[in-house]
Amino acid sequence: MFRNNYDNDASTWSPQGRIFQVEYASEAVKQGSAVVGLKSKEHVVLVAVKRSPNELASYQKKIVRIDDHMGIAMAGLTSDARVLSNYLRSEAMRSKMIYGRALPVGRAVNAIGDKAQTNTQEYGRRPYGVGLLVIGQDDTGPHLYEFSPSGIVSEYYAYSIGARSQSARTNLERNYEKFEDMSLQELVVHGLRALRDTLQQGKQLDTLNTSIGFVGKDTKMTILDGENTQAYLDLLDEGEAMETE
Amino acid sequence: MTSIGTGYDLSVSTYSPDGRVFQVEYAQKAVDNSGTAVGLRVKDGVVLAVEKIKHSRLLVPHANRRIMTASKHIGVATAGWISDTRHLVKRVRDEARDYRSTYKVEIPAKIIAERMGMYAQAYTLYSAVRPFGVSTIIGTVDADGPQLYMIEPSGQYVGYRGCAAGKGKQVAKTEIEKLNLDQMTAREAIKEAARIIYAAHDDSKDKLFELELSWVCAESNGLHMHVPQDLFDEAIQHAERSLNDDDDDDEMEGDDE
Repeated sequence: MFRNNYDNDASTWSPQGRIFQVEYASEAVKQGSAVVGLKSKEHVVLVAVKRSPNELASYQKKIVRIDDHMGIAMAGLTSDARVLSNYLRSEAMRSKMIYGRALPVGRAVNAIGDKAQTNTQEYGRRPYGVGLLVIGQDDTGPHLYEFSPSGIVSEYYAYSIGARSQSARTNLERNYEKFEDMSLQELVVHGLRALRDTLQQGKQLDTLNTSIGFVGKDTKMTILDGENTQAYLDLLDEGEAMETE
Repeated sequence: MTSIGTGYDLSVSTYSPDGRVFQVEYAQKAVDNSGTAVGLRVKDGVVLAVEKIKHSRLLVPHANRRIMTASKHIGVATAGWISDTRHLVKRVRDEARDYRSTYKVEIPAKIIAERMGMYAQAYTLYSAVRPFGVSTIIGTVDADGPQLYMIEPSGQYVGYRGCAAGKGKQVAKTEIEKLNLDQMTAREAIKEAARIIYAAHDDSKDKLFELELSWVCAESNGLHMHVPQDLFDEAIQHAERSLNDDDDDDEMEGDDE
């Protein structure tokens, strides 16, 4: 990344047709710790690595429940993520109140995508500095979306964002065709495996820094932290032990 | 044409000494960097096609739509920034709805094109905003028959019988010029549009891509919709076959399967 004349605000195009402020906002996403999302026929799962600023502090929450059928994981500026998740929550409630039904996931993500786009077109505003993986279950099945600071929203079978997420994406690209028929448990373990690829040397996934979220046809949006993740981490270690034997 | 207008290109409210607004030209570059979009206006309808370049195998096929519908009978295909696209399509939908509410008839093609042109142009007047990095192709069938317009980042809009925008626009335009559009039917045009997108696709640069194809015509009851699966598959076969024949033939009618 280099400094240039065209990177001062979001209302300036560069000679190559790029908007640098939006690209810099995407860099903020890459600074956040990794999150991985993946889906099967029946469920969609999020797993995340949490960070803490120092030993005395708690670990930053990465997965947030939006409604019984929807949740998000964030990477980047967590305060921006708070604003977007509050907005999503109120939209979800509005949908229930006005239309008597759960907010369709595609609409929800397009709404925040459009919100983010206006921040990329006006002077005096900055793009959102957070990327989200949004999971949800609606009449058309389980869904996984990526939201990025540019306002672009895409639907995936599996994806990862955040620091060193390319390693996770490579793992997912190799394996995503198997996910369709997996059970919830297998899906979570696969997600953790991909997530582990993003860790630095010597770091491990443990109950302090791992967060798991999932939702499905007959499963409400559930988030597991702390001791509740132990069972899945054990399965991950077992699988690894079997591989090395 | 690449040129840098150093000093006069930081805001859209600045002219360069030779009368150019560089920010608008740079917005056009964003369009030129994106996947190709093609529109064909034929005897009995309009066909739109988009080359959706995929950056990952993990993307769900047919999910991330680039061709959108407004007011049921207007098709909008774009080349350029996807998030700006959504902003513009929202505007097309609002304009169509307001027109129908006021005048009790569906908005004619040339009016919606004009309104979108004015809207895009408004973003080229003030330094507080930036131009849209999108070329919008609008296709519909109204009282005057099939209509096709393209609105550029500058706000300029022109009616076409065939148009293209994006990376492969040069190749696409050359192919379109060879076609006899006035005599073609929408069914034939679907195959041609698919073939042109495949021809314009540069395999050496972006390996993964998905074709999106839609039409408005009598067969679709005057509604804009994505092409039915069987016709879509035929079109892809035709496109792939034409690509494998080394010379680009001028055939208008597809071979019988």
